[in-house]
Amino acid sequence: MFLALKEMRRAKVRFGLLISATGLLVLLILAQQAIQTGLITSFIGAIEKQSAPVLVYSVDGQRILQGSIITPALEQKIRSTEGIEKSGRIGQGTFTVKVNDDEEDSDAAIIGYTDPDLGEPDQLSAGRAARGPGEAVGSAPGFEVGDTVRVLGPDGGSRGTGEIRVVGLADDAQLQVTPTLFTGWSGYVASVKSANPDAGAILPSAIGVAPVAGLDPAALAERINDASQEADALPRQVAADESPGVAEVRQSFQVIFLLFGLVVPLVTGLFFLIITLQKSASLTLLRAVGAQSGLLVRSLMFQVVLVIGGGLAVGIALYTPLSQARLGEIKLSFDVSAVLIWSVLLLGLGLLSAVVSARRVLKIDPIEATTGEGGR
Amino acid sequence: MSLSLKELRRRPGRFGVATVILTLIAILLMFLGGLLDGLTAGNTGAIRAQQADLIVYSSTSQDSLVRSRIEPEQEKQVAAVEGVSGVGELGSVQLGARIDGKGPRDLVPVVLFGYQAASEGLPEPPTRPGEAWADATLKAEGVEQGDTVRVGPARSTIKVLGFVDDTRYAGQSTLWASLRTWRMVQNENRPDARVTPGISQALVVQSSPDASGLAGRIDEATDGFTSSLTESEAIDALPGVAAQESVFNQIIGLTVLIAIIVVALFFALITVERIGLYGVLKALGAGSGRLFAGVLLQAVIVTAIACAIGALAALALDAVVPAGSIPFTATGARLVDSTVFLLVAALIGCAFSLRRVLRVDPAQAIGGGQ
Repeated sequence: MFLALKEMRRAKVRFGLLISATGLLVLLILAQQAIQTGLITSFIGAIEKQSAPVLVYSVDGQRILQGSIITPALEQKIRSTEGIEKSGRIGQGTFTVKVNDDEEDSDAAIIGYTDPDLGEPDQLSAGRAARGPGEAVGSAPGFEVGDTVRVLGPDGGSRGTGEIRVVGLADDAQLQVTPTLFTGWSGYVASVKSANPDAGAILPSAIGVAPVAGLDPAALAERINDASQEADALPRQVAADESPGVAEVRQSFQVIFLLFGLVVPLVTGLFFLIITLQKSASLTLLRAVGAQSGLLVRSLMFQVVLVIGGGLAVGIALYTPLSQARLGEIKLSFDVSAVLIWSVLLLGLGLLSAVVSARRVLKIDPIEATTGEGGR
Repeated sequence: MSLSLKELRRRPGRFGVATVILTLIAILLMFLGGLLDGLTAGNTGAIRAQQADLIVYSSTSQDSLVRSRIEPEQEKQVAAVEGVSGVGELGSVQLGARIDGKGPRDLVPVVLFGYQAASEGLPEPPTRPGEAWADATLKAEGVEQGDTVRVGPARSTIKVLGFVDDTRYAGQSTLWASLRTWRMVQNENRPDARVTPGISQALVVQSSPDASGLAGRIDEATDGFTSSLTESEAIDALPGVAAQESVFNQIIGLTVLIAIIVVALFFALITVERIGLYGVLKALGAGSGRLFAGVLLQAVIVTAIACAIGALAALALDAVVPAGSIPFTATGARLVDSTVFLLVAALIGCAFSLRRVLRVDPAQAIGGGQ
């Protein structure tokens, strides 16, 4: 260990470069993990945070709230399914809004519900739940308590919506990377009519359903799907996970992570292999004067642990401030489990990559010190 | 030069691991670029297919097609602006399509467009209601020329007349119909988004050759009711496109940085190993420039091999990825860009070894340093 540390102290640039490279790779992996999590949360946070245990889309909606339309006949079929304690309409649209007196118009997704227990977020981070028309819970980031929001029509005016006041906030409750408001059904209907003066009947996008006591949401979803081929009922978390695009985002990132997972051990493996080759004469000499090969291998592994550990420390130190940032509407966060999993994985892969170097050390024949072969 | 080439030929193993690492980085870089290009192509095809000089939205739509609403009055105002040579209406609706042979729950997400103006990317709009051109990606879903698909909860029937290429929108396949068909389908399936005759979502504007400042003049003529964008501005305004490009470009930039570090690390070590040899060569009259040029040449060759393998892997991936799975496209421009990035990274990485080469003292090679 003493030798390993001394060598690292004397070759600061060499080891420093490797630690920096590993640190940057760790930063890249963790940053991408944070972007993936933030991106997915910004896409489907509202579905995860709304309170209905089961969401019933129309099959045509392709599991997109805004794309789904529940016809009166389908609504009737859903409501008549056995095992439902209560059900309520949920509507969703994305609108151009004016927040407070901002000069710039902005986007907002508005989710309307007929029953607050089946649509409004069940956990608020600030303020209170909406109690009446003209009040809403807003997503954070995106809104502040006290904000007033006006839905704009095609001519820039708002036709009869009045103002929606944000009275509470729910963390990570965005939909489609858009600031989101949760309000009563009448507020939603007024918003749709304000945006489109030609709008006909305003039908729900989905039906929120709660099962009777003792019935699992998944079992209720199955019953509803059995009752109608037009219905696409999903428990809340499944509805979020199976939203279009989520699986593709995960899949794409997994390929990137796999490649990074290969690059890190290859970089460290290459480094230690070259170092071992460079030191082969000294290592042979050490073996000739009595140093056990186990000791030399332990020294090598100790250096690997220090390099990967140093890289992890550098990467995590750079990741910490980055994880507090926002990329547009995407909020990043420090993911402890991702840090732990990647630390263990990279350390394991790093040690594995040093096996080739370790084998070379083990193969050193002390007799070569007397023949001059060790230096080759 | 010949010495460095000889070393590469005689001791390829020495450069093998660096080549493998750089190959992985090249694959990563080209995969990231291909993914970005695939995602962008799948999101923007419909806009690019218009080959419009300008696309005009209503000003309160935040340049979102689905939220935009253009009334006949504004269309007339736009058409009357000097420099406008053609105006076509455009409308869209996103729905699920039922295709024969698929199960009752196995719908294909499509965007049905209503359009007026043909372009190089789009033939003349179908004349009969209920007919449409389909994006070629629908072939992978089993759709053939002459088939009828049923869209939306109202099961509006659309007969496919033929196929058009590269017209995907929002990552979905598209159907291209007349404005009349679009209004019919929209009103049958989305009563909340109903449109009356004459209403469209956007205008596709062609301009005469000398129509500079046309966008501003159009918006002025409509009294600020419209927001006129060039094609590239309209693409950037699509949800997520600009953010997606920004995130991917940052990752690509950092990957290039890693390539610089890997090359720097590897060739620094190689140089350290060769210090003695360089001393001898210098003592025999070789200049530092010549020695460093040899290092550069080796770095360029190793990187070029890595890039070639990376490009082949990217092309192979592009060929085997089934339509509709990973949005990956390997374009020549992207592969060339990535290769150039990595070659520049190799040169920069190598530059870190320059100092060591310059510092080699020939006297040490003949014992002067002792």
